[in-house]
Amino acid sequence: MKTSKTVSHIAKIVKYTIVDEVRHKSFVVMFVISAICVFIIRGCYGGNYMVNGQYLDSGTVIRALSKVTFYMIGVGVMVIAALLSMQLFRRDRNEGMLSSVLSKPIARWQYVAGKAIGLWLLSGLFMFILHGIVCLITSISLKLFMPEYLVASLLCSVNLLFVVIAVLLLSLLMPDIVAFLSVLGIGIVGFVADGIAAASHSQIAQAMMPQSDPLLQPELTWWKVVYHVWPKLSGVQQMASSLIESESFHGFSTIYPLINVLLYCLILGALLFKRFRNEDIV
Amino acid sequence: MIVLKNVTKRYDSLTAVDDVSFTVKAGECFALLGPNGAGKTTIVKMLLDFTRPTTGSLSLGGIPSTHAECRTSIGYLAENHHIPSCLSGWNYLMRCAELLDLGRSDAMDQCRRIVELIGMQGREQTKVGAYSKGMIQRFGLGAAIMGDPKLLILDEPTSGLDPIGIREIRQLLESFKGKGMTIFLNSHLLSEVEKICDTAAIINRGKLLVKDAIADIVKDGETLEDVFVRVVRG
Repeated sequence: MKTSKTVSHIAKIVKYTIVDEVRHKSFVVMFVISAICVFIIRGCYGGNYMVNGQYLDSGTVIRALSKVTFYMIGVGVMVIAALLSMQLFRRDRNEGMLSSVLSKPIARWQYVAGKAIGLWLLSGLFMFILHGIVCLITSISLKLFMPEYLVASLLCSVNLLFVVIAVLLLSLLMPDIVAFLSVLGIGIVGFVADGIAAASHSQIAQAMMPQSDPLLQPELTWWKVVYHVWPKLSGVQQMASSLIESESFHGFSTIYPLINVLLYCLILGALLFKRFRNEDIV
Repeated sequence: MIVLKNVTKRYDSLTAVDDVSFTVKAGECFALLGPNGAGKTTIVKMLLDFTRPTTGSLSLGGIPSTHAECRTSIGYLAENHHIPSCLSGWNYLMRCAELLDLGRSDAMDQCRRIVELIGMQGREQTKVGAYSKGMIQRFGLGAAIMGDPKLLILDEPTSGLDPIGIREIRQLLESFKGKGMTIFLNSHLLSEVEKICDTAAIINRGKLLVKDAIADIVKDGETLEDVFVRVVRG
């Protein structure tokens, strides 16, 4: 009985969060612009591309472009999720909804859970629709249905959960815009670090580096620790895109980014509940 | 119904509420009076667990105010009530009904009854952005009485209302009182308080100065306003 009431309370907050966001014109405008941009990219699918003097076949072009678009949508929706999250508590407070909800028999953690889940579902759906459009265009162009694309989209939504929880937590501790920029910074640093790491493992970079003694253990430096502990948003994107290409998994290192981001979600979620429990409702 | 035991609330060096204790019995219409910054709204916020006391405890119907269950049968109207501008008055009332776990048909019945009670028939489907302050206050009161609560906590309920609106709210409160509802009123309008309430407490600078039946506080030839000024000025 108590569990069903709890679930019902959270479900109501989730519903109100989604409905309120969709009612805002800015959300609709963002969605329409994003969908138009994805459709415009469709024009690139029919182009002739030449690499090293040889024309690429249309299948390779379409696959490569759909992968690039997959990345761009993933990153773009993360930014949109952060934008939507940063004013969530402030808006509810200013519009009186926070005091209206919490003066009813709704616990604070239920309210926070409902808000976070609502925004995560909304941004996840936003991304899924955009990925779905790309999947459709790719499937029509290749005459081959690619359900892996949609599974990869669902996997990418873990990043959105991280972004939503992180921005909500930071918006309780600092001005909204600073919270947004901080999470954006975390994401950018992660993506750049992963890019540098990938480049350093390339054949060219390996050939340029001085050969070390193979018997020596790799040195553990503080920046390596920071690199591995840093939120692996880019890693989750890569893991998801590997699903599209049906690449095989290589043990723990492949699923580590997912575990890393999920652990961050758990830790930040716990901190968010704790912080909101002690928050003064104005 | 309401019990405050040695409640103190400090914000850094400022003591907003200083060792306040009182009780409000079930069915009583109680007014918390005091000048601006006396600590009235802080007490209301602590009752609703919007803020936690530094020391002491508060309970509603025997349940500590920190438990969400104690708010099952409480109606609350905030001072300068706000409603999300994207909603209509009807949407807002329906939302409040849903949060109280009322079934859809029951919620719709209650909303229709409340719209009539607050005198907003024909305006309930208009977006809140087009409402005046008084109309928002009326919908706020409507939301507070949703689900027929046993306790009504009203923080300046007549704020923003014209004299006719104030009179209508007073009549509504009298009808709630007649139904046995406990009313906790936080108001500056002493003449209205004198007409509606049974008991009153006066606080100043966070300290409880007087708490008694209004009939006992107000002596012959005095008004509640005279008493208020005398007590607050010490």
